[in-house]
Amino acid sequence: MRLSSIAYLTGQGMKNIWTNRIMSLASFCILTVSLLLVGFAVLFTDNINLFVGNIENKNEVIIFLNDDVSEEEIALMGDKLSAMHNISSVTFFSKEQAFEEMKAGMENAEELFDYIGDDSPLPDSYRLKVTDISKMSSTLMSINELEGIYRVKAPTDFVSVLTGLRSLIYIVSIVLITALVIVCMVIISNTTRASVDIRKREIAIMKYVGATNTFIKVPFFIEGLFMGVFAGIVSTVVTWLGYDALVDVLMSDTTFWTALGINGFISFESVALKMAICYVVAGAAVGSVGTVISTRKYLKV
Amino acid sequence: MVELRNVSVKYPSGVEALRDVSLTINDRDFVFVVGESGAGKSTLIKLLIREIAPTEGKIKVNGYNLNKLKQKEIPDLRRTIGFVFQDFKLINSMNVYDNVAFVLRSIDAPTKYIRKRVPYVIGLVGLKDKMYAYPNEMSGGEQQRVALARALVNDPKLIIADEPTGNLDPKTSIEIIQLLQGINDCGTTVLMVTHEHELVKRFGGRTILISDGRIILDKEI
Repeated sequence: MRLSSIAYLTGQGMKNIWTNRIMSLASFCILTVSLLLVGFAVLFTDNINLFVGNIENKNEVIIFLNDDVSEEEIALMGDKLSAMHNISSVTFFSKEQAFEEMKAGMENAEELFDYIGDDSPLPDSYRLKVTDISKMSSTLMSINELEGIYRVKAPTDFVSVLTGLRSLIYIVSIVLITALVIVCMVIISNTTRASVDIRKREIAIMKYVGATNTFIKVPFFIEGLFMGVFAGIVSTVVTWLGYDALVDVLMSDTTFWTALGINGFISFESVALKMAICYVVAGAAVGSVGTVISTRKYLKV
Repeated sequence: MVELRNVSVKYPSGVEALRDVSLTINDRDFVFVVGESGAGKSTLIKLLIREIAPTEGKIKVNGYNLNKLKQKEIPDLRRTIGFVFQDFKLINSMNVYDNVAFVLRSIDAPTKYIRKRVPYVIGLVGLKDKMYAYPNEMSGGEQQRVALARALVNDPKLIIADEPTGNLDPKTSIEIIQLLQGINDCGTTVLMVTHEHELVKRFGGRTILISDGRIILDKEI
């Protein structure tokens, strides 16, 4: 195809947007609303995952050591724990540190500590964090095989609840987003079909004068592509403004969220580039491919 | 050249639109095809532009064997044919120049050629001063002239005019047929479908009468 033809067809695509401005506006609005619905659903899911992740990070496995364990054995145990799979951090907590922590947590009980004296009655311990809490039970089995352990304290009940919650969120979000995408595709397809339908006469004329299918499709492709990209840009801006405003409202009183163990929401800035790219690419793909597919039945002349 | 040998068309509904039609139209011929509504005239046109395929028989148009023509070769066939329709079929969002240039653009013709050829053809049909007017600003006769210019611009071997005077007054109808005759004089084959017998009688020439899917008359009038 000649460069002049490509320029002409691109120009025709852009011109068509204005010529059929009512239908173009309808397609653009449907595309934008669809992108926004899916975008907000993704942000909602990401935030839920963040909350669950935060709660997960607060879980801690504490290994209390026997009193007769030597310093060498403690160091060796630390190395073995660090080498284990599914353990993200290992921190040694001496009996003195544990005692100081206990004192700090019981400020009004100085008299009680006077009876105990300066020697710590608490055991040395290792405090661990696991990478994947769903594998907690197998990790605990490996830990229990080590020698010199007095007791292991792990939030196993809490883990099973969180694992179940995460699976539920995953399934619900997949179903929700898939349903939204399908609904949006159906609406977009009908809107673009209506937009193309009013130009079926034009397409038939093109076919009669010997235009190839590619020649007919290119302006529709350009038209859908441009509208999709524009819908993607507008969706990014609307999501940014809308999401920030929503977060401002929700965070105006942090008491409720703090009680739930939630320190904050995902900042839009941290996902802005990813979302903008997804919006523009999805908008361009749905707009261009959807429009071209809608022309197919009119090409059989 | 158009050649049909024992062509029949039966639609899925069971209607037999053409029955065992054989016909030859030589280069430079001017042929009227007449017949009542539902006689098979439109089916004949659809066959010639390969909008439909025959149920039986062989068809050749401008050197293309339509029985063996692949889907992707249909645009090539249609570029050798110019169409003139009863309802003009102009694109209302394009001015006269663009409606005509559109045909050349669709075959990827060089811009220089388009700029030279389009005004020339618009001049041939007498619309030089309306080059940038839009179809809805023109009379029926003028719109049909634009359609003629569009049919001519690609220098086709064959022009098929389907009831080109159906929406026009008698005076304008005569002007359009005179234009078609002028085009024929320059060497282009013209096949004009009409139900206006008065016009056929007035201009005369080879006339094919179709009735109930069969050719019942093919002679010079």
